[in-house]
Amino acid sequence: MKILMGTCDHVLYHLNTRSLVRAAGVLAAVTAFMLSFMLSCAGEEGNKMTTLAARAVPGEVLGWKASDTTETYDRESIFDYIDGAGEVYRSYDFREVTVWRFTRPAGPDITVEIFDMGTPDDAYGVFSYARESEESGIGGGFEQRGGVICFWQNRYYVCVAADETTEDSRAAVMALARTIAERLPSLGAVPHLVRLMPREGMVEHTERFFHIHPSLNYHYFLAEQNVLNLSENTDAVLAAYQPGTTYLLCIEYPSAPEAREAHGGFIDNYLPEAAETGATKVAADKWVSALTLDRYVIVVLDAVSHERATALVNSMKKSLVEAKMVTEDQL
Amino acid sequence: MAIGLPAIAPEVTEEVTKSRVVLVRDKDAVAADGKINGEVVQRMLDQAVMALFDKKDPVECFKILVKPDDIVGVKSNEWAPLPTTTQVEQAIKKRLMGAGVPEENIGIADRGVLGHPIFEKATVLINARPMRTHAWSGVGSLIKNYIMFDPNPPNYHDNACAPLGSLWELPIVKGKTRLNVLVLFTPLFHGVGPHHFDKTYTWTYGGLAVGADPVAVDSVGLRLFQAKRREYFGEDKPIKPAAHHIAFADTRYHLGNSDPAKIELIKLGSEEGVLI
Repeated sequence: MKILMGTCDHVLYHLNTRSLVRAAGVLAAVTAFMLSFMLSCAGEEGNKMTTLAARAVPGEVLGWKASDTTETYDRESIFDYIDGAGEVYRSYDFREVTVWRFTRPAGPDITVEIFDMGTPDDAYGVFSYARESEESGIGGGFEQRGGVICFWQNRYYVCVAADETTEDSRAAVMALARTIAERLPSLGAVPHLVRLMPREGMVEHTERFFHIHPSLNYHYFLAEQNVLNLSENTDAVLAAYQPGTTYLLCIEYPSAPEAREAHGGFIDNYLPEAAETGATKVAADKWVSALTLDRYVIVVLDAVSHERATALVNSMKKSLVEAKMVTEDQL
Repeated sequence: MAIGLPAIAPEVTEEVTKSRVVLVRDKDAVAADGKINGEVVQRMLDQAVMALFDKKDPVECFKILVKPDDIVGVKSNEWAPLPTTTQVEQAIKKRLMGAGVPEENIGIADRGVLGHPIFEKATVLINARPMRTHAWSGVGSLIKNYIMFDPNPPNYHDNACAPLGSLWELPIVKGKTRLNVLVLFTPLFHGVGPHHFDKTYTWTYGGLAVGADPVAVDSVGLRLFQAKRREYFGEDKPIKPAAHHIAFADTRYHLGNSDPAKIELIKLGSEEGVLI
């Protein structure tokens, strides 16, 4: 718009009055067209998401019929639907959730929720947030707990839940989940940072992908203050390792200076003793280590020994180098 | 003696040292099919307030809390999987009316408190809700129940809802709460799933915890949850995120007592399965 207006100013200066009036009219028309184009793109994007999700949900399955109407909630109205737990979704790039209700005369009711999480990374992230187990075979991975199945696929996080768990409802929930997975856009990749976490010693299904400080504190309470400068612009992975319960945290920042600033602040506020050695003993059998590498900060928490802390840090460094996320000369 | 009792209670003359919380349980409060027995709930509420105020008549207890010309808002909680219950709401309402408050001056609401004619001009508040685990604050608590008095609840979400205690300074709320009722019929002690609710992690406790100090009542509830989780999981499995807003309501906002040493807990009813 700025460029358009600047050009028009130059042109207008050299025109007579009649030409000026004609030029102003042309300018107004062009501006209106551009605004209309931009607005229709946004609307189209929103409609596209809702239509995609809608096509994925069948009208009937094993005797359960979908209601004619759906409910949709966005980043502001999600609290009306989920209450405070809506913040979990808002801690990612959540766009909206659409809800279908399935009923049959004999009951129980079944609810289908399709969350548009904006990106496959964030769909995985919300799936990983509180999962306690994971199976393969639906989407990128699914968790089944009683009458509820949740899975992630592409940018979507999907939950299918029966009000009561019966043999029939369990079969219907599974059938709905599989059908929706078949119809949604194809699978997205697990976030690259998650794939880079060392596998040796990792406790299964403990990888958590997130962005902001409250999410870190949910999984591992580090500090009230945001000592690692986490934000919606950072990608973070936390996973648990044995022996003991050691945590490896790897954060990707938008730039190397931002990573260095976060690391420096963390050392100053949380580990001043580690300023020189990069590792410190914080309690009996608990070591903490932190270092920065280009855009990354790597933190090991509650390691059983200095050696273990160092080994995990080095494993993560090696992963980053092998994946060409950092170069050897940046080590 | 319970702290937080209003100036109209002449019994409160000695120095306040401890907050009294009454935990009452009844095995008949919740039927096998999950239905709540209203008569039993009324009996439980009556027993609780009589123990709270050392009185033999529940109406006399409510006459300590309210005057006939008070306008009373009962702040409830309508979260569908685990609401306050109409039985608790009606039990409170009945005793308010018994204490002389006309029915038209009693309002019961949750999300609609702002703009509600009763709550806008309320002189007294009664706070009633179930305790449950909560994805962002650790537990849904009496302290948190007032979040709907702010037009922008996310303002209090930072740091696992640490600032919830400050809600009680809002002009529409400040100084008006006479009684807090923490509903513990079928509490949710572990949150999983897309809505942080799974019936698998509820259990029939059949209790109410009642007191004038919301921090003390919430602290008792939190201890109960920690005990239940230890029993169920076989280990100390901390609530995530930590429900530190309860302690902060004490240490930062001076709303009440969170230290068990400053809470006088009176237990009524069955000891079996009481856990604390």
